[in-house]
Amino acid sequence: MARNSSKIEKRTHDRRRLSDLVFHELFQQVPFNVAIIDRDYNIIMANDNFTEYFGDWKGKKCYAVYKKLSKPCAECPSEEVFSTGKAVAADAVGIDQQGRKTHYIGNVFPITEEKGGRVEYVMEMTRSIIETGRLQSEYQILFDRVPCYITVIGEDYRIVRANEAFRENFGDVLGQLCYTVYKRRKTKCPNCPAAKTFRDGKIHNSTQLGTGKRGQEINYAVSTSPLMRGRGSVAHVIEISNDITALRKLEQEVIEAERLGAVGQTVAGLAHSIKNILMGLEGGKYIVSLGLKKNDKEMINKGWDMLERNFEKTTSLVKDFLSFSKGRLPDLKMISPAKLAEEIVELYKDIAAQSGIELKMELDGKIKNAPLDPDGIHTCLTNLVSNAIDACLMGEQRGTEVVIKVSDAGGKLVFAVSDNGSGIDYEIKKKIFTTFFTTKGGAGTGLGLLTTRKIVQEHGGKIMVESEKGKGARFRMEFPRKRLMALYKS
Amino acid sequence: MSKKILIIDDEPDVITYLSTVLKSHDYLPYAIDNAISAMEKVKEIKPDLICLDIMMPRETGITFYTRLKQDKAYKDIPVIIVSGAVAEADFDIKNFVDDKSIPPPDCYVEKPIDVDKFIRTIEKFVLQERR
Repeated sequence: MARNSSKIEKRTHDRRRLSDLVFHELFQQVPFNVAIIDRDYNIIMANDNFTEYFGDWKGKKCYAVYKKLSKPCAECPSEEVFSTGKAVAADAVGIDQQGRKTHYIGNVFPITEEKGGRVEYVMEMTRSIIETGRLQSEYQILFDRVPCYITVIGEDYRIVRANEAFRENFGDVLGQLCYTVYKRRKTKCPNCPAAKTFRDGKIHNSTQLGTGKRGQEINYAVSTSPLMRGRGSVAHVIEISNDITALRKLEQEVIEAERLGAVGQTVAGLAHSIKNILMGLEGGKYIVSLGLKKNDKEMINKGWDMLERNFEKTTSLVKDFLSFSKGRLPDLKMISPAKLAEEIVELYKDIAAQSGIELKMELDGKIKNAPLDPDGIHTCLTNLVSNAIDACLMGEQRGTEVVIKVSDAGGKLVFAVSDNGSGIDYEIKKKIFTTFFTTKGGAGTGLGLLTTRKIVQEHGGKIMVESEKGKGARFRMEFPRKRLMALYKS
Repeated sequence: MSKKILIIDDEPDVITYLSTVLKSHDYLPYAIDNAISAMEKVKEIKPDLICLDIMMPRETGITFYTRLKQDKAYKDIPVIIVSGAVAEADFDIKNFVDDKSIPPPDCYVEKPIDVDKFIRTIEKFVLQERR
């Protein structure tokens, strides 16, 4: 019996010894500064990490060791644990044994004799976050100083964070609605890129026009990316914007310079047209007065006809110019491009046939409806088809034809007008779209293709020509459907 | 005998005008409305002087001019450019022809013409030729 009890005692003793060893090892090895503190703020035990970090602690009060203070801290987490019996998280700034300021975080746990009993001691496990803190402040500087605007927006469209560059230009905006801040709007912006990101969790890019805190216009290119909550929904969206106001201004200056250049060319072209008309008017006047002098009625009539014809030309020149200079947005309607082309064929079929030219239409597959300005495209096709007919008349070939082809592939709606007439030589091809130009002598005003190009560009499209002298010509008007839709929606 | 003058211009009103002016100054005007068949006309009538427009459909006056100056039999016919396209001071035919041996035209007259000046110019070249 006694032997048995001594055996049990030994086993219990061994176990306790083992647990002491384990406790000691654990106490020393945990990557924390651990200290046990009693109700009178005395540190009664601490591990080597703690000693290394805060210095000698034996016989000292915790506030003296942690913060080198002479009385308890204003907000003491340990006091809370002693009174509530519950563990708390702590976050404090202290002074290490070299006298450097240190930021540490950790937890304070109650130690009781029995479960639920009076808290005799607390265990403080802390860890320096100096390194983390440094990274954090580096990140903060980066966030604030990058030369772009950054905001973080919540699901309610309120701004949660904004960097310095943003605040400088848009004001102090935390907690405000993004659309009020970015654009001084009372309602959400149409086509909001952040809304798209909230919906699909993807990155969206767009360019926007905002209003700064001083009422200044700010053009910015914005990219919205999601901040996911785990694998779930998008909790926040980061908006990163580049200020492109200066770039836009530069672009506008270039456009303006080009416009002035074009005005110069237009004026020169206009002068040429007027000179030709004046020549006709002078001629008419000369012939009429010569006829009067000679009392030659036939001559007077001839001169008078010339005068009339050239006055008529002045009128049509002015009309053409007015329709060219009319800066208007295309009046887009959902129409059938094929039907539009058909109308032109109907209009010109007889005129073409009278000159021995066959006017045909080809449809390349099924052509879907598209938002186009019917009047504008009508003008374009009229110009191209009448040019093509003229080219056929000028050429020496027999069996000439003009083909209007409509195709709709690769996101592009294309009208092509081709002929096998006289073709265009290189010198002329270079300037047909840019200069007020005519090869038709007095018969043309030189505005047809300029006007056509203008209308095509107003639709977001472009016009091209392929031709070789003597081998006919092919004009292509290309309209990217995406741009047509964008114009249509706006 | 009246001097023969060939007018090359696509514009009928210009042809009528210049023809009337020339006729009333005792010249014998001929006309053709395009540059392509102008060379045949030159060979046919052998003009004493040519009035040439520049901007014409199908073939420009410059192409015709180059061809004329390359033809030994006709290269000495004086040519007056009558055009509204360019002012005399701005126009240098050398910029438009590849063959650098082509001499510049004898004279430029800008549209609309000054009748007296035009006639004086014509006289100058025709008389020069007479000498």
